[in-house]
Amino acid sequence: MNFMQLFGRKSKSSTIAKQRLKLVITQDRFDVDEQLVTRLTHDLAEVLAKYFEFSMNSVQMSLKKAQDGNSYILVADFPYKKATKHPSIKG
Amino acid sequence: MGKVIVVTSGKGGVGKTTSTANLGTALALIGKTVAVVDADVGLRNLDVVMGLESRIIYTSMDVIEKQCELQKALVRDRRVEGLMLLAASQKNDKDDIQPEQMKSICQRLTVNYDFVLVDSPAGIERGFQNAAAGAEEAIIVTTPDVSAIRDADRIIGLLQNARVEPINLVLNRFSPDLVKSGNMLDKSDVLDILNIELLGIIPEDEAVIASTNRGIPLVHSTSSSAAQAYMRIARRLSGQQIPIPDLHAKNFFSGIMEWFSRKR
Repeated sequence: MNFMQLFGRKSKSSTIAKQRLKLVITQDRFDVDEQLVTRLTHDLAEVLAKYFEFSMNSVQMSLKKAQDGNSYILVADFPYKKATKHPSIKG
Repeated sequence: MGKVIVVTSGKGGVGKTTSTANLGTALALIGKTVAVVDADVGLRNLDVVMGLESRIIYTSMDVIEKQCELQKALVRDRRVEGLMLLAASQKNDKDDIQPEQMKSICQRLTVNYDFVLVDSPAGIERGFQNAAAGAEEAIIVTTPDVSAIRDADRIIGLLQNARVEPINLVLNRFSPDLVKSGNMLDKSDVLDILNIELLGIIPEDEAVIASTNRGIPLVHSTSSSAAQAYMRIARRLSGQQIPIPDLHAKNFFSGIMEWFSRKR
């Protein structure tokens, strides 16, 4: 919990509602495994964390219908503050 | 030939039946011929919301079982020219009707009526599938809360797969005051999530409850803001270009004005 969360104004409940909705709807639209998006987000985060510094709370995954109407576009937003100083590739 | 529009939502209690009753009446008030069809077999309510419950003799089930002619099963709303109700059977359940049978009824109604509005039951099962079977277009009714929007998104996906087009949104029970205080999703948030066209916004309005109590659809009087919103939607459905006004939160002066104008 950061300073703003402790002493600043609480987030609007409508903002929280929108974030939560976007996530569940993304999961709903994948008609395969419900946990797929959650697992994918964590896997992507694990890789990206080697190169960028970001907060998991700011990560947003969404699914959009493509122009052709038949396929989907997966959009992963990882807003980062800065690049990690010494990226190292493990494994 | 008229067109068949299914009024649906996924979640229950968001205003499908109220919207069907009011849009049907509003379309008739602006001179269209309308048949409203209750597709909620076993849990019918469109008849009571419209105040026609004492006049139901036949239902869509009787038509399907060839107990009566379609035209004879329709109940005429005597308060407005050109408005008919086809009630659902209360004794049967949703599995007693096939989607093809509902489709056939809807198609036959389009011969004589400009608009056939089908009031869908909640859920995504057979009742919904029956309601949507004959629909070319859909109206999704949702309130600005997470459960209703999530369910609406599911329904939109199912309708898109069934090639129902266009699918338009009615945002119901909208409160500009709550949006202003940050406790309700705004119009733009809902549209951003659901990604369909907005047909209209119905403000939260106490007059809806009184209207349901009396069995007189709101639009018979244009004094309430919800009735005015339904009238605008009906005009848009009939092809008129009517802008969607922004609803504003109450301020000190509008609060006083409302206090004085309220019926006591």
